[in-house]
Amino acid sequence: MSEVTNKPAEELHEELERVWGNKPGWGAASAVNHTTVGLRFLITGLGFFLVGGLLAMLVRTQLALPEQDIVGPELYNQLFTMHGTVMMFLFAIPVLEGAAMYLIPKMIGTRDLVFPRLSALGYYCYLFGGLIILSSLVLQIAPDAGWFMYTPLSNAEFSPGKGPDFWLIGITFVEISAISAGVELVVSILRTRANGMALNKMPIFCWYILAMALMIIFGFPPLILGSILLELERAAGWVFFDVVGGGDPLLWQHLFWLFGHPEVYIIFLPAAGIVSTLIPVFAQRPLVGYRWIVLAIIVMGFISFGLWVHHMFTVGIPQLALAFFSIASMLVAIPTAIQIFAWLATLWTGKVVFRLPMLWILGFLIVFVAGGLTGVMLALVPFNWQVHDTHFVVAHMHYVLVGGMLFPLVAGFYYWLPHVSGRMPSDTLGRWGFWLFFGGFNMTFLLMHLTGLLGMPRRVYTYDAEMGWGWLNLLSSVGGFIMAIGVAVIILDITLHFRFGRKAKSNPWNADTLEWATPMPASAYNFASLPDIDTRHPMWEHPNLPETIEQGHHGLSEVMYERRDIFGSDAITGKVREVIHLPTNSWLPLQTALMIAVVCISLLVKVYPLALVASLGVLFFALRWGWHNGAHPVASPWRDDDPVDPPLHSRTFDGPGLWGMVVSLMANGTLYVSLLFGWFYLWTAAPQWSVPEEAPISIWPLLASGLALSAAVLIYRFAVTQLRNGSDARLQKMLWIAAGLGALHVGLLAWVLIAAPLKPSDLAHDAVLSVMLYYLLLHAGLATIFTVLQALRVRIGYVSLRLPYEPVVVQPFWIYTLGVFWMSFAAFVLLPMVWEVG
Amino acid sequence: MSVWSPLHPAQLVFGLVIWSGWFVLLYGGLSVACEFAPPPDKRGAVTWLNGVMLFCGAILAVLLSWLARRCWNAAPAHDDGDGSGRFVARIAAAVYLIAALAAFALTLPSVVLPPCV
Repeated sequence: MSEVTNKPAEELHEELERVWGNKPGWGAASAVNHTTVGLRFLITGLGFFLVGGLLAMLVRTQLALPEQDIVGPELYNQLFTMHGTVMMFLFAIPVLEGAAMYLIPKMIGTRDLVFPRLSALGYYCYLFGGLIILSSLVLQIAPDAGWFMYTPLSNAEFSPGKGPDFWLIGITFVEISAISAGVELVVSILRTRANGMALNKMPIFCWYILAMALMIIFGFPPLILGSILLELERAAGWVFFDVVGGGDPLLWQHLFWLFGHPEVYIIFLPAAGIVSTLIPVFAQRPLVGYRWIVLAIIVMGFISFGLWVHHMFTVGIPQLALAFFSIASMLVAIPTAIQIFAWLATLWTGKVVFRLPMLWILGFLIVFVAGGLTGVMLALVPFNWQVHDTHFVVAHMHYVLVGGMLFPLVAGFYYWLPHVSGRMPSDTLGRWGFWLFFGGFNMTFLLMHLTGLLGMPRRVYTYDAEMGWGWLNLLSSVGGFIMAIGVAVIILDITLHFRFGRKAKSNPWNADTLEWATPMPASAYNFASLPDIDTRHPMWEHPNLPETIEQGHHGLSEVMYERRDIFGSDAITGKVREVIHLPTNSWLPLQTALMIAVVCISLLVKVYPLALVASLGVLFFALRWGWHNGAHPVASPWRDDDPVDPPLHSRTFDGPGLWGMVVSLMANGTLYVSLLFGWFYLWTAAPQWSVPEEAPISIWPLLASGLALSAAVLIYRFAVTQLRNGSDARLQKMLWIAAGLGALHVGLLAWVLIAAPLKPSDLAHDAVLSVMLYYLLLHAGLATIFTVLQALRVRIGYVSLRLPYEPVVVQPFWIYTLGVFWMSFAAFVLLPMVWEVG
Repeated sequence: MSVWSPLHPAQLVFGLVIWSGWFVLLYGGLSVACEFAPPPDKRGAVTWLNGVMLFCGAILAVLLSWLARRCWNAAPAHDDGDGSGRFVARIAAAVYLIAALAAFALTLPSVVLPPCV
C-alpha cells in the first residue's frame, strides 16, 4: 500500500489543495468536488424551500377566512400544485441528496465520491430543471392539476395550457439528478470505504443512505416512464391514459404512486439516518441495537414499495387486493417502531446532553410518531374512504414529511454547521427558532386533522361560512405564519453565525464518526492521509486521528502526477483493492446539462428540430466525457512506475465503473419493467383495450435483427473473455465485428419500425409497442456506438491487455440490450399471438 | 464467495426480493384470474382462488423460514476476523424470517374476503 510521507503537514496540505481544489472565479463552475457540489445542492434546496414556503403562506392567507377571494381559483390551483411540487421534488429529495453527498465520503474516510463529474452533472440538472419549473410560475402558466398530476385532469383536453408540460419535462430533468446521485452514492459506499471498514463497521448513516440510494434507483424510473408517456400523449397525441383508445387513467396513478410512496421513505430514511447519528452523540454512548436498525432499514426499504395502492383505495379495486396493500401498510410500522425503540433505548441508557440539535430530535420524535399513528389509521380501508381527499390527509402528510424529514434535517444542519463554517450556532436564537417552528407547526396541522374530520376537502380555494370550518382555518393560518417566523429566525441564526459564531473546537460535540477528523471548515481533499478503520466509533477510540491524519501518517499521503487518488476497497470487508484515480475539475457536466436544458426548452416550445440537434449535442458531450477516461492523457496514461500494490483501477477488471454500469442498468431495468407493467395492466384492466386485426410487426425481420444482436453480444463477450485470459491479439478486430453486427441489428430494427403500420394516436396497443421499439433501438444504437469507440481506443492504445478496464464496463450494457430485446419479443410479439389463438 | 452462500451480503436482500416477487404475483395473478376465470361471487371466500393463494403463501412461508434457519446456523459462533460474516448471516436470517411472516400475512385476508368483488 501507499507509503507514509515525511513531508511537513503544511507542505502536504498545499500540495493536496492544489490538486483537489476548485478553479478560481468563474472556473468554480467546473468544480466536481463533493464538498462543493454537496453544499451547492443544500443552498439551492434552501432557496427552493423558501419559494415553496412562500406559496404555502399564500395558500394559508386565502384559506384563513371563509369566502375570501384574495387569489382566484385558477391561481389557487397553481399555488397548491407548485407548493407540493417544489417541496417534494426541488427541496426534500435534493437537499437530502446534497447532505449525503457532502457527508458520505467524509464518514467513510475517503476524499471524494467515486464519480465526481456525475455529482456535478446531477447538480446542474437539478438547478436547470428547477428553474424551468419555477419559470412557469413567473410566466403565470404554472401547472395546476395537483402535484401528482392525475389524468385525465392533466391531459391535453382538460389542461390545454403548458403547465403540465413544464411539470412533466422539468421533473424528468430533475430526476436525472436523483438517479445520478443514487448511482454515485451506492457505488461510493460499497467500493470506496476506508481500509478495514467492513460492512458491520460502517457508520449507521451510511446504511441509511445506501438504502435511500437503492430506493431512488428502483423508485424513480416508474415516474420517469409515466412522465414520458403522458408528455407523448399531450404533445403527440399517443394514447396511454385515454379510455377511448384503449388506455386507462389509472395506469398513471399506478406509475405515479409506484414512485410516490417509496419517495416518502426515500425522504424519511436519510432523515432517520441523521437521528441515528445524532442520538448516540448526545447520549454519549453507542447506538443501542445497531444490527436491529440495519435490519429495520432493509425491511423498510422493501416493504415501502408494497404500499403504493393505499393512495388509491377509492378507485374501485377489489377488496382482497386492497387488503394486500392494507396489510403491507401496517407491516411497515414494524421496522419504524424498531428504530424508534432503539432511539429511546439509547437515550434511556445514555447521559443525554440537551444541546440545540437535540431539541430538534425531540421535536422529530413527537411529531413523527403522531404522523405515523395517523398513517396506521389511514392504512385501514374503511377509515381511509371516509377521510380521502380531506384536510385530514393533508395534516397526516405534513406530520410525516415535516416531522420525518424537516425536523431531523434542521437538527443535522445545526449539528454539522461547525463542520462547514468552523463556528458554533447561537443557542439562544436557535431555541427561539425551534419553539416558534414547533408551536406554529402543531397549531397549523394538529387542528387541520379536525378540519378534515369535519369534512373539509383538500384543494378547495374557499368555503362557506356556514360549514363551521372558519375558526379552525384561521388558527391554522396563524400557526402557519408563526412557523414562517420560526424559519426566519433559524435563517437569521445561521447567517449571523458565519460572522459572530464563536470558533468551534475540534470535534465540538464529541462525536464518534470520521467526518470530525477532517479540518474545519472542510478542506477540498478531506483527509491528508487515509486511515485504516477497525471500529464503528473511530473518533471515540482513536481521538488523536485528526492529528495523525493531518501529519500524513496514513495511506495515500503522496501526490502522484497531480492525480486525484483515493482507495478502492472490497464491498464486504473494506480491504483496499486498488487506487482509484478520479477526474479533476471539468466543464463537461455543465456543458452536458446545458444541452439537456436546450432539449427540454425546445420540447416545451415545440421546436422539435432544435430538440433533435440539442440531443445530438448531449450525445457528443456524453461521449467526450467517456473519452476522457482510463488511460487518456487527461486521466491517467500508462506509466512504467504506475503503482502495482494496489494497482490503479483502470488497470483492473473490476473497477468502480463496472459497478456504476450495473447500478445504472438496475434503474434502466426498472423503467423497462414499468413499461411491461403498463402493457400487461392495459391488457387486463383497460376498459376499452383493443388490438389491431393484424399484428403490426413483421416477425421474421424482427427475429433476424434479434439474431444479429445475439451474434454481436456473443462476439463481444468472447473478446472480453480473451482479454481476461490474457490475450488482446484480436481485440480490435472482434470489437469492430461486434459493432458491425450491432449496426445491422439497428438497421433491421429501424426497418421493422418504419414498415410497421402502427397507429399510436389511435390505439394504446400500438402506442406502447412503439415506445418499446424506440427503447430497443436507442439501446442497440448506444451499444454499437460505445463499441466503435472502444475499438478506436484499442487502436490508439487507451485499451489493451495492460488497460483492460473499459470493455468490461461496456459488456453489461450489451447483455442488458440483448435481454430486453428477447423479453420484449416474448411479451410484445409472442404472447399476443398466443392469447389471440386462445 | 458465491452469492448463494449464507455469508454473502446478497443474502441480506434475497428474502425480501422473494417477498416482493410474491407480492407482485399475488396482486397481478389475482387481477388476471379475476379477468379471465373469476369464481362466482356467491361462493364468498370459499373459492379455488383463495385456496391457491393460501396454499402458496404457506409453502412460501415454510421455504423462507428454512432459509432463515440455514443462515442462522451458518453464522460463525464467534466473530471471524472483521466479523462481517457473522453480521451478515444473522441479519440475513432475520430478514428471511420477516419475509416469511410478511408473505403469509399478505395471504391471510383471503380467509375472509371474496377474491374479485
